[in-house]
Amino acid sequence: MVNSSVVNTYPLSNYSFGTKEPKMEKDTSVADRLARMKLNYMKEGMRTSVEAILLVQEHNHPHILLLQIGNTFCKLPGGRLKPGENEVEGLKRKLSSKLAANSPNMQPNWQIGECVAVWWRPNFETIMYPYCPPHISKPKECKKLYVVHLSEREYFAVPKNLKLLAVPLFELYDNVQRYGPVISTIPQQLSRFQFNMISS
Amino acid sequence: MGNRRFHLLVLLFSDQMPMINGNSDGCDTVVDIYPLSSYFFGSKPAAAAAFKDESLADRVLRLKSNYNAYGMRTCVEAVILVELFKHPHLLLLQSKNCIYRLPGGRLRPGESDVNGLKRKLSSKLSADDDNYRTDWEVSECIGTWWKFDFETLPYPYLPSSGKTPKECTKLYLVKLPLNRDFIVPKNFKLLAVPMCQLHENCKTYGSIIAGIPQLLSRFSINMVFVSKHKLD
Repeated sequence: MVNSSVVNTYPLSNYSFGTKEPKMEKDTSVADRLARMKLNYMKEGMRTSVEAILLVQEHNHPHILLLQIGNTFCKLPGGRLKPGENEVEGLKRKLSSKLAANSPNMQPNWQIGECVAVWWRPNFETIMYPYCPPHISKPKECKKLYVVHLSEREYFAVPKNLKLLAVPLFELYDNVQRYGPVISTIPQQLSRFQFNMISS
Repeated sequence: MGNRRFHLLVLLFSDQMPMINGNSDGCDTVVDIYPLSSYFFGSKPAAAAAFKDESLADRVLRLKSNYNAYGMRTCVEAVILVELFKHPHLLLLQSKNCIYRLPGGRLRPGESDVNGLKRKLSSKLSADDDNYRTDWEVSECIGTWWKFDFETLPYPYLPSSGKTPKECTKLYLVKLPLNRDFIVPKNFKLLAVPMCQLHENCKTYGSIIAGIPQLLSRFSINMVFVSKHKLD
């Protein structure tokens, strides 16, 4: 794990993007998703999910890589850990599943950095908080966001049904409407880091 | 007759929020916080206000002249937590005109962040004759905000134009011991505000203070309970 308050960001143009087979969402509606979450909770207890903040730079401003489903919904690459799975290993597994080519000799060297935020889901509802609310002793999900330090060059294979976007921090900041409370607050959570913006 | 003497028997019942540091970073992300009741709060005379009747225009002129002389203005502010009702609370100063502030203030030219913050904490939160006896434990920087121009809104990133911002505010986590005396100037109130009230409440507290719960979310906040035992 990389423990550094300096984040090297390389130009978006350093990275190449191909496609691979689609990765469909397991649920077709929010209601389905929450129902499946409830089933899993009965079997395995609290869900732990890990998500990655992959940073690049454009015009000297940090950008985050987001996966877009359909026309509007954006999410960070990541997902649910298997019971007992190590967080760093689980995040690498999810990153490879979403963004790496299938070939074993084209696997990016994922460098997982610090955890920058933790969000808690108290009930089987969509709302999450950056603390475990008072009187909640059995949260249903814990979601942890990690900075991922990208290498200077990388090849990403994006599932055909998803788009990979590079969104500037200034576009995310204060934009809860478009990106939701977890993604729109990432700029503040990154503000303690020093960005070393490297040009081509 | 004899005086009633109260002894604080420290029974450490640690009520941790659900474990988040299961198997990840080895950083020091555990923060112990103590009950509000284990602290003493008193007051001292208000300090003479330096720029009491300054107009906004005059203030901007003053900031511009300081910028030309010394460069970017840096402010350091303390994020200090206590426990109440099993939920972390943030210590905030409220001035007579209802503005909420974190304890802290502007650095002098050449002053380090840590020294400057300790100086400001002593000035705002300790007795005048404390003479730096109170040792403030300044921990890590948890967030930074920049003002791109004088008296504009702060943003959590640098301007992409490459121009130097006019002001930078750095938030530092400050860890408290079990006991401390807080002596606050009479023109301020010191409040303990629950995190759940700050969260997303930019209207009342401004973006910087309302964003603190998210900046603290990566820490494991360990609420230490203390039992008081009375002796006759």
